Amino acid sequence: MNFFYLLLQLISAILVAPLFDGMARKLRAKYQSRIGPSIFQTYYDLFKLVKRGRTQSYSASFVYRMAPYLLFVTAAAMFCVLPITYGSSATFAKFSDIFILIYLGALYRFVFIIAGFDTANPFAGVGSSREATIGFYSEAVAIICLIVVMLGAGSSNLPYIAATLREGSYGYFIPSYAIASTAFLWVMYVETARKPYDLAEAEQELQEGVLGEYYGKDLAIIDVALMLKQFSMLGFFLVLFEPWSFENPVLALLLFLLEVGVLYVLAIFIDNFGPRFTMGKGMKRTMLFPLSIASIALMLYIIGV
Amino acid sequence: MQTIYTLFLFTSLLSIVLYKKPLLAQKLGFGLASVISLYAAVFFFLHVNETLSWQLPGNFISSPIFRLDSLGILFSFLVSLIAFAVSLYSFEYVKFYAEKANLAVFASLFNAFILSMLLVIASDNVFSFMLLWELMTLISALLILVNDGKGAARDVMIYLGIAQIGAFCLMVALLIMASFAGGFEFSAFDELNLSFGMSLTLFVLLLIGFGSKAGMFPFHVWLPLAYCQSPSNASALMSGVMIKVALFAFIKFSLFLPQYVQFGYILLFFGALSCVFGVLYAAVSNDYKASIAYSSCENVGIIFLGLGGAFYGLGANLPSIALLGFIAALFHIVNHAVFKSLLFMLSGNIYTATLTRDMDALGGLHKKMPITSIIFFVAALSICALPPLNGFASEWITYKTMLLGGIEESVTSRFFFVLAIIALAAGGALAIMAFSKMYGAIFLGLPREDKNNETAKEVSTIMLLPLCLLASLCVGLGIFMGDVVDVLSRIVQNYIPNTYFNQNEFISMPTIVLVMVLCAIVPFVLLYLLKSNNTPTRITEPWACGFIYNKKMQIGSNSFTGDIKKALRFILKSESEITIDGYFSKAVYKRKTHDLFWDKLYAPIIRLIMFIADKIGIFQNGRTNFYAGYILIYLCLVLVFAYYYL
Repeated sequence: MNFFYLLLQLISAILVAPLFDGMARKLRAKYQSRIGPSIFQTYYDLFKLVKRGRTQSYSASFVYRMAPYLLFVTAAAMFCVLPITYGSSATFAKFSDIFILIYLGALYRFVFIIAGFDTANPFAGVGSSREATIGFYSEAVAIICLIVVMLGAGSSNLPYIAATLREGSYGYFIPSYAIASTAFLWVMYVETARKPYDLAEAEQELQEGVLGEYYGKDLAIIDVALMLKQFSMLGFFLVLFEPWSFENPVLALLLFLLEVGVLYVLAIFIDNFGPRFTMGKGMKRTMLFPLSIASIALMLYIIGV
Repeated sequence: MQTIYTLFLFTSLLSIVLYKKPLLAQKLGFGLASVISLYAAVFFFLHVNETLSWQLPGNFISSPIFRLDSLGILFSFLVSLIAFAVSLYSFEYVKFYAEKANLAVFASLFNAFILSMLLVIASDNVFSFMLLWELMTLISALLILVNDGKGAARDVMIYLGIAQIGAFCLMVALLIMASFAGGFEFSAFDELNLSFGMSLTLFVLLLIGFGSKAGMFPFHVWLPLAYCQSPSNASALMSGVMIKVALFAFIKFSLFLPQYVQFGYILLFFGALSCVFGVLYAAVSNDYKASIAYSSCENVGIIFLGLGGAFYGLGANLPSIALLGFIAALFHIVNHAVFKSLLFMLSGNIYTATLTRDMDALGGLHKKMPITSIIFFVAALSICALPPLNGFASEWITYKTMLLGGIEESVTSRFFFVLAIIALAAGGALAIMAFSKMYGAIFLGLPREDKNNETAKEVSTIMLLPLCLLASLCVGLGIFMGDVVDVLSRIVQNYIPNTYFNQNEFISMPTIVLVMVLCAIVPFVLLYLLKSNNTPTRITEPWACGFIYNKKMQIGSNSFTGDIKKALRFILKSESEITIDGYFSKAVYKRKTHDLFWDKLYAPIIRLIMFIADKIGIFQNGRTNFYAGYILIYLCLVLVFAYYYL
């Protein structure tokens, strides 16, 4: 039964994610005084891609061919780590760990980078390089926030942390936890690759990295994987800092998807007004803010507040 | 058990005797070495959790006893296992060096090196330990010299210099410990009665002594120099197991001291520094062998973090943290031995095929060497600690230890453990950068220089066999993490009795694999349901925004890390050099990153010593009458001294 719910969690996220993406696109269009596409446009795009043929650079090897599936597997596994439909007593509770989520994210990045190398495309390569650099920035901040939560709650096990928070013995009344939540939301926003952190100062090709070379069903799978990854990142925030939900797995799942969807669509408000930075300057400067917020939270934890 | 040591000695002597017939000696030397080490590995594996001892027959000044307790047997097993893989690999690999060195000597040194490591682990008194320790250093220095490369003499001197500083500290520490214990046997070292200041001094001396050998920061400077010079099989042994012998000795001796929490803090601090700086230089290096060598420094840092947790646990009397810390450290020691020796052997494959160590000259090797490439992929995944491979398993336990330590009430312990977690995570992010770059730049894309790539071909099966063995160990040790932890915890419990831990709190690796496999099925089902287009893939040129594609456009290892170099300019001092001769010729652009600690710490000391040596040189002018004068002055001084003080 556990297993059934886990599958349900994954499948429903895959089915719903394009809808929220369509809504976000519509909302952005409204902001820019355009009519915009239908909110089902992302579904149409995916269907269209699935029906098209694929392309491959002549330099490509097995890495390029496997990368869409590997990206999908890691993103889907990241989403499964989130304890939405299962609690601390389930079989999968031993799998639901903060470090597993972080290192699956690292695996995702690893595959993304080497696929960029494999195409021999200069833009894909630069995209890979930026992916690695942003990863370094955001991982440092994310881990500082996570340390506060993990040490405060006493475990790295997600269902355990969620249970502790629901119980009320740990939560927003602890200053370090409350401050860490701000920085963590910021980092999760960076991880969803929106402006000002998409760094597309020159060309569309740079921003997309390796995606510039893919087409057909490969691209469709990567698109779904990207949405799943963004969902898991936002979900990661929700599980750690907003864990209140229903007991019933199906209701909990519905509420969770709604919450993630709202966050996903709301991100448009920042995205639409975000400036574009260059890699060297903007990134470093803007990442200093969440880093200092996170460090304050950490210091508060260390001195025991 | 004596048979193992005797057989290694015999093989070593046999190889040197056959120096007139190097090819025969090479076959016998490396072939026998692999057979003996396989036997040794099986033997030690079957006797783990026992105590074995033997005495050297014959009449010596001291009667050397050799003793192996369960920790020693674990390390002996590790040495034998890696030695088996490396010697099987060397069987074919050393032919590459046939013109540079006498293979008989190489085989002899190789066997002697394995023997010396096994004996260091087993030795049971100060005299034999120091003798064998120095012997191990000397033999490894000779192995570096086998590949008579450019600047080899200088690099070996740096290695020996740092090793001598370490050996000096060790000698002092061991003599002080022996004088307190009242005997030179290690069995007398238990229950040393020392003050806090003395034990802290001894601990620091031991840390410098063994840390310098293990490549701990700031003694890491010899790692990239020595490992780049030596043949890849020697680097695999040195990085895979020699630094583990140093770690073993460190654990063994520091457990004799009375424990204080400060020991843990020191280890955590230096572990965190090694972690970050090691992998930072690994990420920006353009030489793949240097990059792998720097990554050793990172992994030693991770091991020290585990040990730091363990020593903190012992000092604060929290046995559960101590147990977990030792398990984390030992597990990472095993894992690092496996994947680091694997990576060094793979670097040997790449070098023999392409004759270059510059990642900006390589590329597209996957098409020429598919099996090497796939094994490298597995090794890179496991050294980046990606689930579900072995690196992740041991790093997870290290994280767990750090979390347990960070929950403690005291502000100091919270500070150090939090620092350790941040270092470990930042190191992880940079390791992704280092190894994805290395794999991408070497194996993927298109060859950047044609001359290095044309002759490349896959190595022979006998060289690939040990590599496959180690790669499957990388996977196996990860998935069967629970069983490995069980074995290790039984060993550690011999040292910290009355502790237990609950494996239920651990993550379960098989579940990760299961979930990932399930997730892998989903896209295929979805594509099938949507009736996807399955026409053959169209092969195109890479997209270059409308320009004519040229493979020089590819991103290289140097430009890949450009952003991070710019962002971390305050640590990574680098200088770029542009050579342009003539309008029509190609401009050559080079960028070299300096090791900050070489520039700021080692270079001034070396300059100072050179300066002093220069000044002393005035006395050494080669005139006999001056020397007679020195003797006269000395005699007068002795007489004056004797008259007044005796």
